[in-house]
Amino acid sequence: MKDVLLITLKGIFRDRIFQGIMALAGLIVFIPSAASLSMRQVTELSITLSLSTISFIMLLLSVFLGATSMWKDIERRYTFSVVSLPISRTSYVFGKFFGIALFLVLTAFVLGCAAMISIKVSSMGYPPARPVEWGLIMAAIVFDAFKYILLVGVAMLLSAVSTSFFLPVFGTVSIFLVGTITQQVYDYLHTPASEKVVSAIVKNAALVLYYLLPNLQSFDLKVYAIYSIKPSLGGVLTTFCYGGIYTAVLLLASSLLFGRREMK
Amino acid sequence: MSNGVALDIQGLSKQFKGKRGLRVEALCGLTMQVPQGEVFGFLGPNGAGKSTTIKCLMGLIAPTAGSATIIGETIGSVESRMKVGFLPENPAFYDYLSAEEYLQFVGRTFRMPDDLLARRVEESLRLLELSDARKRPIRSYSKGMVQRVGLAQTMIHDPELYILDEPMSGLDPIGRALVKDIILDLKKRGKTVFFSTHITDDVEKVCDRVGVIVKGRLMALDRVETIMRSGIEGYVVQTKAGIGNHTALASFGLIRSSEVFREYSVPAGRFNEFTALVSHHALEITLIETKRKDLEAFFLEIVENVAR
Ligand SMILES: Nc1ncnc2c1ncn2[C@@H]1O[C@H](COP(=O)(O)OP(=O)(O)OP(=O)(O)O)[C@@H](O)[C@H]1O
Ligand SMILES: [Mg+2]
Repeated sequence: MKDVLLITLKGIFRDRIFQGIMALAGLIVFIPSAASLSMRQVTELSITLSLSTISFIMLLLSVFLGATSMWKDIERRYTFSVVSLPISRTSYVFGKFFGIALFLVLTAFVLGCAAMISIKVSSMGYPPARPVEWGLIMAAIVFDAFKYILLVGVAMLLSAVSTSFFLPVFGTVSIFLVGTITQQVYDYLHTPASEKVVSAIVKNAALVLYYLLPNLQSFDLKVYAIYSIKPSLGGVLTTFCYGGIYTAVLLLASSLLFGRREMK
Repeated sequence: MSNGVALDIQGLSKQFKGKRGLRVEALCGLTMQVPQGEVFGFLGPNGAGKSTTIKCLMGLIAPTAGSATIIGETIGSVESRMKVGFLPENPAFYDYLSAEEYLQFVGRTFRMPDDLLARRVEESLRLLELSDARKRPIRSYSKGMVQRVGLAQTMIHDPELYILDEPMSGLDPIGRALVKDIILDLKKRGKTVFFSTHITDDVEKVCDRVGVIVKGRLMALDRVETIMRSGIEGYVVQTKAGIGNHTALASFGLIRSSEVFREYSVPAGRFNEFTALVSHHALEITLIETKRKDLEAFFLEIVENVAR
């Protein structure tokens, strides 16, 4: 597994998509000056901008890397030479996944450091109303990375069964979009107002989806970081466990499906 | 245990399910063994099922029926692949890596210690004449160079069994000769080589035994030597003109004659009679050529029989 992981990492670093996306990351440097244009809540704004930029970059990375990594191997016939080596299909899938996950963690770390420097610069020029909670900013970035690692798991699962990159790429994006609103839909379905508009069948279908699809919204701690409000520890821990279990299930399913796949 | 059998295939079959329930019977009940130390040629026309067999052996696809073991290990397991150097058909390798990096990756998956691996990488790059390109990404390699990387990566861990799917394809004559030399050298070192091809000449030069597969069925399996010998139809013999009594040979067909020599066609069954007459009548033989049906003819005959 370690060998596949290292090869995957090397592949990412030498990939053009990666180099393009990383050029985007250079934008973080300009955040303090951009935020200062607003004249009000400059620090809050630069926290928002930094965290959103990081989140967006990680979304791009997780979709492209997660969805194309295995597909590319199959499409370019690398699988014949790799899967026939004395590594199990499970190690192959896990190696790919952890290679990408590790890369996301590294990205989060590097971008996180850059962002914190940007925020520091902003806060020195325009002191915020409430002191910046660095711990919360870090937590927000960590949980964001975690969310995208889970998304990579989704992409791996779709790649394990798909023959084209269409399903993994668009499937992952759709699940991401649905995953971010599923909590709102759930909450809405539990309001009395919804009873009149939504039929029982639709409601039950939506509930099934709610439990089946990943709930990504709870990973979003940005608001807490921006306004320096402490989130509830229990909630954060629950999210952490939820993410871990969900990702593990995705990985197991991917390796099971990929293990039975014919390399024709 | 393997009991000296490198490859044991029992009733291996594979059906591909196509669209609209269409089934392709790519391989039907293949049963054969390859003993350790043998060079085995797996000969068959396009679409015969050679690659299908090999993919089953390497666990890339699951056979619909039957089983096989590689040096005693059931196919599809990591342990079975541990003992094999495998070259896929028209191989492709991570093209962002250089040959050197790729070979290191392969060696590590075989859990080779670092110092041994470094030495072997060096050796196999040199053997396949890739030393100059070793640092360049595989992306920049020519087709033949990629094939050479493919061969290098089969040898890196010095396996007991080599399974090569068309090892000579894409190579120039120098490369083909090199591969033949490598195979003969592996044989000398007691290794087993199982390779597929549709070129009879390759088989003739290096193989101990050959199996002919057509439309998923094994149609013939024999020692190359036996086939070659059974294919002998007769001899073309030249005798020196002007020495001895040539009228004694009148019952043999005279192909041509000149002032220097006379050339006779001698059927395989009458060769002894011919030589007896030669010595009895003080004639002198200057040249003997074997006239035989070669492996190619043997192969074509089988393929045509199946087609009929
Ligand atoms: N994925 C697949 N789906 C359906 N049929 C297949 C598939 N792969 C191979 N076949 C069929 O199986 C048969 C055997 O194919 P195989 O690739 O084993 O031939 P081969 O002997 O390797 O030929 P070649 O010399 O051209 O490489 C062919 O009839 C082919 O059409
Ligand atoms: Mg083939």
